[in-house]
Amino acid sequence: MSRKQVKGEYIETDTGNKVARKAVLVGTQHIMLGGKTVIQADAMIRGDLARTTQPPSTSGAAPGSNTAVAIGRYCFLSKGCCLRPPGRIYKGSFTYLPLRLGDHVFVGEGTVVQAATIGSHVHIGQNVVIGEFAIIKDYVRVLDGAVVAPNMVIPSFSIVAGQPARVVGEVPEGGHEAFELRELYKTVGNNPQPLPV
Amino acid sequence: MASFTPYTYIQCPCYDSTVRGWTADDASPTISHELSEDDDDHAFDPRAPRSTFSLYPLEYLLYCDVCHQIRCPRCVSEELVTIYCPNCLFEVGSSSLKTEGNRCFQCPICIGPLAVQAFESPPESALLSSDNASTPIPSGPWVLTCSYCHWNSSEIGIKFDKPQGIFAQLQKLRYGEDQSKHIVSGDTSPAKPDSIPDTNKARFAALKSFYGSQTQKNKPTIMREADSINEGFRLINLDESSAISQLRRDGWDGTVTSAQTKTQVEEGARFADQLWPIPYLLRTKRSKRCPVCRHIISKPEPKVSNTRWRIRLAANNNAIPSISIKPLNPPPGSGSGLLKPRRPAQFLLTFKNPLFDDVKVTLATPATTPGRFASRVTVLCPEFHIDANPDNDMYLDDVLKDGERERQRQRGDEGIHQAEAGKIWERGRNWVSIVVEVVPASLRIEPSPSLPSKGDPELDLGPLREDEDILEIPMFVRLEWESEPSHDQVGATTSKDKDAREKRELAYWCAIGIGRISQD
Repeated sequence: MSRKQVKGEYIETDTGNKVARKAVLVGTQHIMLGGKTVIQADAMIRGDLARTTQPPSTSGAAPGSNTAVAIGRYCFLSKGCCLRPPGRIYKGSFTYLPLRLGDHVFVGEGTVVQAATIGSHVHIGQNVVIGEFAIIKDYVRVLDGAVVAPNMVIPSFSIVAGQPARVVGEVPEGGHEAFELRELYKTVGNNPQPLPV
Repeated sequence: MASFTPYTYIQCPCYDSTVRGWTADDASPTISHELSEDDDDHAFDPRAPRSTFSLYPLEYLLYCDVCHQIRCPRCVSEELVTIYCPNCLFEVGSSSLKTEGNRCFQCPICIGPLAVQAFESPPESALLSSDNASTPIPSGPWVLTCSYCHWNSSEIGIKFDKPQGIFAQLQKLRYGEDQSKHIVSGDTSPAKPDSIPDTNKARFAALKSFYGSQTQKNKPTIMREADSINEGFRLINLDESSAISQLRRDGWDGTVTSAQTKTQVEEGARFADQLWPIPYLLRTKRSKRCPVCRHIISKPEPKVSNTRWRIRLAANNNAIPSISIKPLNPPPGSGSGLLKPRRPAQFLLTFKNPLFDDVKVTLATPATTPGRFASRVTVLCPEFHIDANPDNDMYLDDVLKDGERERQRQRGDEGIHQAEAGKIWERGRNWVSIVVEVVPASLRIEPSPSLPSKGDPELDLGPLREDEDILEIPMFVRLEWESEPSHDQVGATTSKDKDAREKRELAYWCAIGIGRISQD
């Protein structure tokens, strides 16, 4: 996987992804990265938990089509977080279903995400648990320590906190730009840049 | 010690206008006039009880580009654009708001979302034999289940015949003639006369109609009070034996918490089996208008799924420079991060200009912070220019930034940087850093002789109050810039030459939280 021979903390791909060497990616053939995504050390992505509905004969024929975790651009997966596709009984048998992240999604340290869909411009704090099949829309801020109930839907421009999480506030009009992760992306990697003023 | 993050809160001018509005109505206009004149000299006190309601983080403020003034969430007027359910994101028309019930419900125990499920779990055989392709079609009865705390509505004896129209079925179960709920919940108290359903709403309606008919009656008859159940009158049931026996049986777990009762639609639930699923409160998208000129200053797209805005005049993008605070010389291995009393400390304030025009900034602070513990404040450079915000083109941005960094590096080579009065610390493309020096006050309660007390006879010697140890600087910021004239009056602008620039100015108070002062 490491094409570059220069030893750095991160492996930087052609599409701009920065993946820490200490990140734990399981089942990489089922993980899709949109580009310019940062995956820090000890972050875990469970790509091995892919959909199991198809009979084993056909799944071998088309590898890669069965995406378990899809991540958009400019996402930031902090240290020790875990992305885990949700699973349930579907048509009589247990199967995992894909987990999708939009663009500019920040996942805090030690957070476990088992959502079905996370929109774009979402900030998830530290030590958060996103329950199975939760749906988080765009421009949502999940505060530290929140536990989002399984199957919960969080509408756009919400601030949620608590256990179980509830909507505690609204993202103000002037707060949209704070979700941008372009600048944060530049601050990590093998050649980190300081945050501009 | 709790960690401290520096902050900047900005005061909305609406605070001022309410005060003025009151003094105008006052009986003694001369005094109020003197007061308002006096106001100009008077420094703003961020600790005053009223200030709490006018200080906002920058992101929460809007900017009316017609009045050229800051507007806060408290002074704008809001209008509903869309009403929708936060769970299913289904838009609810304003006409069907009351006729159609909610589609989604929250768990009465933990407020998690409830889902409709078949009451009988799928047959075990389907799970065991995977070759059994025919999936069992779930059939009723149906219950609402919470996947967070695993509560389900059969615990309060509610089962549904069909998975659709839950609201109507619940309504029928609760208020209709259907008494099955009472039987299942083990309510053994003597049957109440049920000519009127025993709900607050129904009783209030009965009372209202009764008293309405009383007042409309002609004079001869004497008005009487409601005294029967049909009129909405209810004798309180003083026989608590059933409640006591239920308490004995179910214990603490069978009772409700105050948070649970508060979220209930009907008041008065005391036991967990009296808690009903909570219909989700609907959410709205709202547009905002300037309270003075009635122009719309914020308007979202009406569709629920669309996160764009038609108009969004946020103050941080349209007028006010953001202020970020950091210590100039962070002490090595700073353990506590507290400010030492009577030890000067220097802080960097960085102003970032969001406008596409150069801005002249003038700052003013009182020499000492207001309150019992007066810290000394010196702004080393109270007047400076910030260059315009370049077009936010991403690629251009990246190219130019490298050049900027080059320049910075060159400047860094010039030698050791010293904080000098009247000079800015550092300058970027659309930002300027200046140095502020503070001498934190001692938090000792005894009146210090070094600070001249203004002959105050009643010195407050009470103990340290909450957050009184925070060093908060009131700062008056005045912005001046020239921009293209606003094109409100089309006729006026066409006649004049197009190069005419319009002078703008904006002035406001803000409160800058620098840090906590150590207590020794």
